[in-house]
Amino acid sequence: MIRTKVGRSLAIALAVLAVAVVALYLVPRLRTKGPVEVQRVSEEMRAVTIFFGNKSADGFASETREVPAAPGFEDQVKLVLAELIKGSRDSDKISAMPDSTELLQVFWVEDTQTLVLDFNNAFTANHPGGSAAEYYTISNIIKTVSANFPQVARIQFLIGGNQVESIAGHYAVDKPIDVKKWR
Amino acid sequence: MTAWPRPFAVIALACAAFLPWMLRVAPAAAAAKSLGVVYADGRQTEDVPLAKLDKDSDELYVSAYDLARVFKATKFWNPDNRKLVLRIGNHRYMLTLDTRVVVVDETPVLLRMNVRFDEGSIMIPLEFIEGVLAPRSVEKITLDRSRLLLSIGSPEYNVTGIEIVDDRDGTRALLTLTDELLYHIDSDTPGILRLKIYGGRLDPLKYTFPEAKGLLNRVRAEQVEQDAYLFFDVKKTVQRYRVEFEGEGAAAPGKKAPRKLVLFLERGKLPEIPGADFAGKKMVEMLDEGAKRKMIEPVRKIAIDPGHGGTDNGRMGPSGVKEKDVNLAMALMLRDRLREELGVDVVMTRTDDVLVPLDERVQEANTAGAQLFISIHCNGWFTNDAEGFEVFFLAPARTEEEAQLGRDENASVAYERQGGSEESGGDIDFILWDMVQNEYLNESSDLAEMVQREMSASLGIRNRGVKQTGLRVLKGLKMPGVLIETAFISNPKEERLLLSPEFRERFIESAIEAIRKFQDRYPGKG
Repeated sequence: MIRTKVGRSLAIALAVLAVAVVALYLVPRLRTKGPVEVQRVSEEMRAVTIFFGNKSADGFASETREVPAAPGFEDQVKLVLAELIKGSRDSDKISAMPDSTELLQVFWVEDTQTLVLDFNNAFTANHPGGSAAEYYTISNIIKTVSANFPQVARIQFLIGGNQVESIAGHYAVDKPIDVKKWR
Repeated sequence: MTAWPRPFAVIALACAAFLPWMLRVAPAAAAAKSLGVVYADGRQTEDVPLAKLDKDSDELYVSAYDLARVFKATKFWNPDNRKLVLRIGNHRYMLTLDTRVVVVDETPVLLRMNVRFDEGSIMIPLEFIEGVLAPRSVEKITLDRSRLLLSIGSPEYNVTGIEIVDDRDGTRALLTLTDELLYHIDSDTPGILRLKIYGGRLDPLKYTFPEAKGLLNRVRAEQVEQDAYLFFDVKKTVQRYRVEFEGEGAAAPGKKAPRKLVLFLERGKLPEIPGADFAGKKMVEMLDEGAKRKMIEPVRKIAIDPGHGGTDNGRMGPSGVKEKDVNLAMALMLRDRLREELGVDVVMTRTDDVLVPLDERVQEANTAGAQLFISIHCNGWFTNDAEGFEVFFLAPARTEEEAQLGRDENASVAYERQGGSEESGGDIDFILWDMVQNEYLNESSDLAEMVQREMSASLGIRNRGVKQTGLRVLKGLKMPGVLIETAFISNPKEERLLLSPEFRERFIESAIEAIRKFQDRYPGKG
């Protein structure tokens, strides 16, 4: 009886020791192997800045996000603007993108340094209106593009492939907008 | 008996073996410091956590995640050889865990401390920012260790200096500007001259003079969004003031040369007025400003433009009120009262619920020969938080260089369309109109400031200020013009105000008062 009791205790002790040794060996290795969050990332990531309007429409608020590094310039622009369209989790940051906005296509015209952004119809059709709202819709795009892609000098907006006079009736977007002149 | 203590001893031993590991986590978490990061590119100032990882050194570490974010780096982690590559600007930085070596492009550089791994993050010593990144960066990077402050990039100032000169005639404040910016000065607050520089960017600290010099008691500056403000606290003996660009009109066209904007304070001949009398005393602005205060036609006819209409409802309020209806109702009310009280002609761009294209509105005002253009709108936002009124005037090409660029662009558009299009004539006109509106910039900004001042005093809602933007409906006007956003129809409280007769009355009264003041200021020839 005593023998088995001792034997059991010894077995427990050995088991604990074994676990301890394994843990001691493994835990530091797991910990130094690499950051879990970074390790998951198998591709290059790019830190980008997204601009929003603030809640009271009297200033900008920015957020830094990570997007995968895209092979082409146009794809990269699309990924960055997709973050703006997605909006912010912070309810004080307003993307000013109308409901169901989609960026259909992006073209880069190298010789005039013009970025052409072709949005779906919802971009104008679902715009709530108001000059402040329209100003931030345009400004958030311009500021986000120029912060991340300094080579862009001009932005041309298209809706479903066509030029439009304006998004909500206050600002002209029929011609390319000079990103430096926009204010 | 002898068997009992053995397993306990083993368990105790096992626990003891764990202890240092369990304790190791605690000290790092305790060192909660943070690095303040200030950006020049418009990003918000933020605090980034720092960690002290080595008990033998005071060096602070920042996580690779934060570092990459702050410097907009592209990062690549290779778990097999434990290397992290950061691409920042035109350089590639390769760091290896638990080593001091950083390979910059192809060249190895040694840090004093190792790159570490701690609590799931790669940690990089701050010396990497100072010693490796900063010297290779195009942007200016400064790390202030004592205040734990990192600033990235330097903002491009266009108001670059101030000099104060005092002599027998008076005191002059000479401001150096990189180009000729539009300004507005007023003395609404007795004893204070407020100079607003549209599109001005300055470092406020450089323009703060707490002590007196000449006729100036104090000078203070502020940067408010896109515009710069200077406040001159002047002595009681100032009789008159004047602001102008030194050698006005002398700059060679197309050449961007630094300009001096001069505020001149004239010393009065009378003895200093006792303090009690000073309140309410307004200084007189000298009117011999040459180019700035040109003679324009007296205001006899005013064009009023109710925004939107017809199929374009403008913004809908939360309870369904349509902006186009509010705009029209207020515009018609203003028309009648202007005729009655100021005896002026009024031309309307629409009097019914119809959609008039923006170009036609402008054309109508131009062909009618109006001397003022006032567009009436209600504002709207994505949430119901935004509130207040604002006044806009047109931002045309701001410098001669930009104006030339605009002319080139427009000319090429006109040229391209000359072949087939019937509308090519319209395009050419449009270019000319743009230039014309440039001429009324000062008058438009004056009108906008006057409207703002009156409305600020009487509307009882937030004053969002005067703004200069590229609003389409103001393009091509052959007269001074402003657009008034009366209130936010998207805000339930202001939507109700827009429907209330009292609010409308206050709007009408302040608009009329502003126009009256504009008429006084620009009496016109004859």
